[in-house]
Amino acid sequence: MTTETATAPHNSSEMPARRRQVLEFLLDNLVWLILIVVLAVFSVSIDQFLQIGIFINILQNSTFIGIIAVGLSLTLIAGHMDLSIESVMALAAMVVALTFGTGGAGGALALEPAWLAFPVSLLMALAVGAIVGTINGVLVVRLSINAFIVTLASFIWARGLVVALSGGRSVYGLPDSMRVMAVDQIYGIPLLAWMLILVYIVFAFILAKTPFGRHLMMIGGNEVATYRAGIKVGAIVTATFILSGMLAGFAGWLLASRTAGATANLGIGMLFQAFAAVVIGGVSLKGGQGRLSGVFAGVLLLSSIQTAINVMGMPPHYTQMIQGGLVLAAVLLDTMKNTIRRRYL
Amino acid sequence: MKALMRSMTGAILAIALAATAVTAAAAAEMKGKIYYLVPTLLDEFQTGSIDAITKFMGDVGYEVVSLDGQNRTDLQLSQIDDVINLKPAAVILAAVDFDAAKTGIEKMRAAGIPVMIFDRQITSTPSDFTSVAGTIEIGHVAADEITRLLTEKNGSAKGKVLQILGDPGDPYTLEIQQGFEEKMADNGDVTIITHPAMQWEATNAGTIAQDQLLTNPDIDLIFVHAAHLAVAVAAVLEAQGKKPGEIMLVSSNGAPVGLDLIRKGWEQVEVEQPMVAQAAALAMFADKVINGEEIKPGTYDVTGLESVVTIEEWGPNIKIPGAAITKDNVDDVKFWGNMKPPTDPVMSVE
Repeated sequence: MTTETATAPHNSSEMPARRRQVLEFLLDNLVWLILIVVLAVFSVSIDQFLQIGIFINILQNSTFIGIIAVGLSLTLIAGHMDLSIESVMALAAMVVALTFGTGGAGGALALEPAWLAFPVSLLMALAVGAIVGTINGVLVVRLSINAFIVTLASFIWARGLVVALSGGRSVYGLPDSMRVMAVDQIYGIPLLAWMLILVYIVFAFILAKTPFGRHLMMIGGNEVATYRAGIKVGAIVTATFILSGMLAGFAGWLLASRTAGATANLGIGMLFQAFAAVVIGGVSLKGGQGRLSGVFAGVLLLSSIQTAINVMGMPPHYTQMIQGGLVLAAVLLDTMKNTIRRRYL
Repeated sequence: MKALMRSMTGAILAIALAATAVTAAAAAEMKGKIYYLVPTLLDEFQTGSIDAITKFMGDVGYEVVSLDGQNRTDLQLSQIDDVINLKPAAVILAAVDFDAAKTGIEKMRAAGIPVMIFDRQITSTPSDFTSVAGTIEIGHVAADEITRLLTEKNGSAKGKVLQILGDPGDPYTLEIQQGFEEKMADNGDVTIITHPAMQWEATNAGTIAQDQLLTNPDIDLIFVHAAHLAVAVAAVLEAQGKKPGEIMLVSSNGAPVGLDLIRKGWEQVEVEQPMVAQAAALAMFADKVINGEEIKPGTYDVTGLESVVTIEEWGPNIKIPGAAITKDNVDDVKFWGNMKPPTDPVMSVE
């Protein structure tokens, strides 16, 4: 590394400070630049794409993957990962739907006053997420089992539980008080989209401005050194898994509201999309690096492509090919960014 | 401690012996064991079919064991390999993949195990009996109903239809599409926009509907290939402030959710797959299939539905008519979506 820096054709001392700042800004926000370019290209080339409704759709349709991607990012930044998020989301949605749904396998629980269903169902979904997150966290931290294995197991058993609880049947007919999130808008923007924005603001603040966030970065960067610095690594990692689970539970609650119920295959495939968004967003799979603003851009980018394909009528197989290509491109860009940083900044 | 261990061991042995005795007695009453290879449990039609097949086969003296293929071709093929070693009286196969199942069917038949095909027709290799509604025919029924609805709304068969398929890798949805589009080809004034909902996931269907309604606000009708997708589409319509029926909705498979949407006015037609009758037909002919007796072509009454047995290249085939469910007949108990399976036992065909 030292040799490479010494022999590099340029180094930071040769670059004016102003230009370095611009370059750093561009590198930090590369995904946003790509998103802007992609949206511009779509707007120019796809008939009827350029309208406010499409952009709201992109934002709204990013909600579920976007929220579970936050939990995934937190665990990745901490140097672990959470593969269970998709199934936890489905489990939370199913538990809520089975309790309050009036049709199919639903239990049709009616609370008085009716608005109580809103907070009670939300608490239930969060509790489901917290329980699975606690199980994951305890197994990873206390028993030192690899997070990949633990959360993969949770991914499988939680989906199995969804099927077992519902008997494979759909549930529908959620009370109006629970459909509020899917139906209402504020300033013309759906509540679902507001929830997505809120989650990103809150967790970006937590990551950047609180001791918890800083410690998370440190743990992901060097767990042993962080432990020796007197930071409670185990407690923070456990809390991260619980937060990831609760975010997935929250996404499940919103998903149940959006689809007015739950099916046994609800949310299937979203884990890989969340992973793609996180990688595109620049979160390092090695831990210790990542910003939620990048992840947000990654989620919007994937959603934009999906929406463009919906509007164009392109065969859906291209979505997966494009998404796979984007992930690869993101990794290559990340390598390129690191090289540029080493050489010029 | 030793005494405790002895007691526990004794108790376990006693339970095991009792269980063996009960199982043996039950087996003695049954004619044999049939394995039902179900493609997935993430679908209400499939889980319902397990109950129906188990019930009807029980009526004619067979015990049914169901194995979930988890929508994985490889898993279903390995299940076939396992089942061959268990030497069952017969196997009922609802294939994950129509083509990939061919070799499995051939293996089972070569091992002397009769194979009955349920719901997903396989014509590439012979089997011992096939009970289907006909996915292409479901597409035809949907086309007839959609033509009627468009004519009622626009004065003639014209307008714009958004067709939301299931997963594009699933031949089931592709055959419905084929049947639907070949029948609709006669209606030159109908524009059909087609999009698939990847992995049959409801959120994907909702997203497609949302995007399309924005770019094609003149859509008259949305046709989805499964009722659980219709729920998400109806939720999107509701969220957009549409009234029930303002944009018409047609679905296929006849699941309970679809029937409920008809009652609420969001959906106009559900094309039913007669799952209960399809299951009953298997049981009616099970003895003949397992004993290697001839199945005669003709018309048979299957749970009140007039069904036709023909002898095709791939073997005896019973086709049971799908039905269009509307608000006028939605409460009819014969539809499996009403979750009231017939209580009358099925009788074997003589």
